[in-house]
Amino acid sequence: MDVSQYLNVFMDECQEHLQSLNQSLLALEQDPDNMEILNQIFRAAHTLKGASATMGFNKMSNVTHAMEDVLSLLRQNELKVNAELINTLFEALDLLEVLAQGIAEGREEDIEIAGVLQNLQKFTTQEVTAKQDQSAERRRNLQLRYLPAEIERIKEAANEGLNLNHLHVYLQEECLLKGARAFMILRELEAHGEIVRTIPTAKELEDERFDTDFIVGILSKKPLEFLVRFLEKMLDVARVEGEVVGPDDLLVERRGGVAKATTDTSPPKATSTKALSNVSPTVRVDIRKLDDLMNLVGELVITRSRLEQLSSEQGDHALAETVEQLTRLTMDLRDQVLKTRMVPVDNVFSRFPRLVRDLARETGKEVQLQISGAETELDRTVIDEIVDPLVHIIRNSIDHGIEPPEVRTAAGKSLPGVVELKAYQAGNNVVIEVIDDGAGVNLEKVRARALERGIVTPEDLEDMDDEEVMNLIFLPGFSTSDQVTDISGRGVGMDVVKTQISNLGGVVEMTSEAGKGTKFTIRLPLTLAIIQTLIVQLGDEVFAIPSTLIDQTISVAKKDIKILRNREVTLYRGELIPLVRLQDYLGVDRAKNANLEELDVVVISTGERRIGFVVDTLVRQQDVVIKSLGSYLGNIPGIAGATILGDGKIALILDLRSVA
Amino acid sequence: MKDRQGKERQEETTQIIVFKLGEEEFGVDILQVREIEKLDQGITRVPKAPPFVEGVINLRGEIIPIVDLRVRFGLTVPELGLDSRVIIVEVGEALVGMLVDAVVEVLRIPVSAIEPPPPITKGVDSYYLAGVAKLEDRLIVLLNLERTLSPEEEKELREAELE
Repeated sequence: MDVSQYLNVFMDECQEHLQSLNQSLLALEQDPDNMEILNQIFRAAHTLKGASATMGFNKMSNVTHAMEDVLSLLRQNELKVNAELINTLFEALDLLEVLAQGIAEGREEDIEIAGVLQNLQKFTTQEVTAKQDQSAERRRNLQLRYLPAEIERIKEAANEGLNLNHLHVYLQEECLLKGARAFMILRELEAHGEIVRTIPTAKELEDERFDTDFIVGILSKKPLEFLVRFLEKMLDVARVEGEVVGPDDLLVERRGGVAKATTDTSPPKATSTKALSNVSPTVRVDIRKLDDLMNLVGELVITRSRLEQLSSEQGDHALAETVEQLTRLTMDLRDQVLKTRMVPVDNVFSRFPRLVRDLARETGKEVQLQISGAETELDRTVIDEIVDPLVHIIRNSIDHGIEPPEVRTAAGKSLPGVVELKAYQAGNNVVIEVIDDGAGVNLEKVRARALERGIVTPEDLEDMDDEEVMNLIFLPGFSTSDQVTDISGRGVGMDVVKTQISNLGGVVEMTSEAGKGTKFTIRLPLTLAIIQTLIVQLGDEVFAIPSTLIDQTISVAKKDIKILRNREVTLYRGELIPLVRLQDYLGVDRAKNANLEELDVVVISTGERRIGFVVDTLVRQQDVVIKSLGSYLGNIPGIAGATILGDGKIALILDLRSVA
Repeated sequence: MKDRQGKERQEETTQIIVFKLGEEEFGVDILQVREIEKLDQGITRVPKAPPFVEGVINLRGEIIPIVDLRVRFGLTVPELGLDSRVIIVEVGEALVGMLVDAVVEVLRIPVSAIEPPPPITKGVDSYYLAGVAKLEDRLIVLLNLERTLSPEEEKELREAELE
């Protein structure tokens, strides 16, 4: 059958199922015994299998089939959830995403699936033996469980020839200062290997919160016998039991650490159940159709303004009334169309639990992601563009912000570290905050780095307050991490984030307190299509300045203008700000403000700086529809686009931030 | 035989719109022309635009950049007059307006009359040209719109490569 006409529908569904799988798998990782989640995963995999088979995408149906086999064993309780299984399922999911991409690009055939299939099948064929071993395995590892990141480390270590030894140390009953003794034992032991985990935790041991025995998991090249004998010789040690544990026999820590990732906020749980219950009838619409609709409404708004002008000239009462009615309808229509373009930020946020999980594993840190306000809505075009900057900020928070567990413990901070992702609407803006409770920005480091990179001179630096220093990280070529890591850094960091957000008409700010954490605040316009502007006149021309950029409009008498280093400045809220004649910036002739006694000044705020732009007259506030100047003129600095005013004239929209 | 000749004759012609820049006649393929507009609404200047971009106009709600071909080709620029027109052409997916001194006529010319352009024709670099149509008493310079109306860098790049 000809399936091409169904391809779009298939791709859409595919994306939905993949996302739901992603969320449910995360949830399952935290709650391995939850049958409801398991069923959700099974249903999604099953549906995908059916759909891909129908469409003739054999590789996808093979992979989903193998997944389904594993999942049904889980459902029948013949297989237990463990780290390896979860990882294999994630691996399969990643492959499915690659396959979906491949299908969209018509090259599904080229994608290699054998490796993942094999890994999946390992579980189904091993299942019988695994079942027999289960009870023994459980007994063996009863006490010590590991975080996924630790398991990774243990596997890695196995390749380096390091064995994981579980050492059960019993202290003598009469031992005094058990805490100190345990601490000593651990310290001595560290000379022979890497201690991965202890039960109770090292802190509890030190605080003497244990009976007389404790267990140590240690990676060591030394044979088990040596370690046992080494410990037995130590003071106050009654006896030691030990065993070597293979990396495949480990149990996953289910509570605490990474596994705790979302128990408080439970976004994956909430979203996954929501995803499945979210079945109110909907229509899929191509975003371009919505763009066209938005354009038409824009035209209508313009025509309406023109009609309004004409009607006011006519002075016809009945006409005026009708126009007024039309105005109301047009505005309602505009609002409705804008609403159709709005999607919840959940579309973006829902990717982050997985990102945080993977990053935590990579860095060996314990991180909990808390999400709130995921229902906040943003224009579709903004949503698409906000992903990259957010990913970058979150990566930064985990890589540079959150400390490794031992550092946090030493600093008396709670585990796991918390990254908070918040969205809410504030007026015509949507605010997204990324807050971590990590180490915060080290201002001394920032200063040193800025000097080293030649971003500022020592004199500049002396004039800067802490806030200004902090904002240096948004400058090109800046990166505070000592090491360049895979995760963030390479020196292309925050300046790119700032540019991307500026391109969306938004601003990003950062505040940080050493030792307490860092907070990024992103402010975005609700929509990109219509913005509120201040129309100003300059010579014969009119320009529109986006209201979001404007701090205030003021009137400045000629006598209040001073000259400082050949530049005009004036006092504004107790601070000297530079004045720029807009005609000088834009190269416009016939501007009249040069000879005026009283100047209209638009004060623009560009994050930390303020600049006053002198215009001829302030005309009015107006909502305008942004139109692109096209590829020809699209990249002129300072000009964000154009709009058509009520009288059919074109006004250029100025992005005055680039002046600074 | 006759049939074939007749068919050939049809294939051999092409329609062009002939316009004037100063006193010289230029032509563009009619299939690329969307419409021809008078200049009664005025052009909105765009600060910091490339010099050959005169500004933008509002064409029924669409914002169209206007290119002054005379500046583009480095010809002398007479004042805009009553006969001045904007020829709106489609280049790639974009609409661009070309400012010309007058639109003369729509002409059907035999393809055989079109010759490759000499290096410089009427002061215009052959890079911008698709050919030269030699008619009985006229010489019409045919423009390569893709090149004429693409941003300046491409020509510079090409020149840099040739060097």
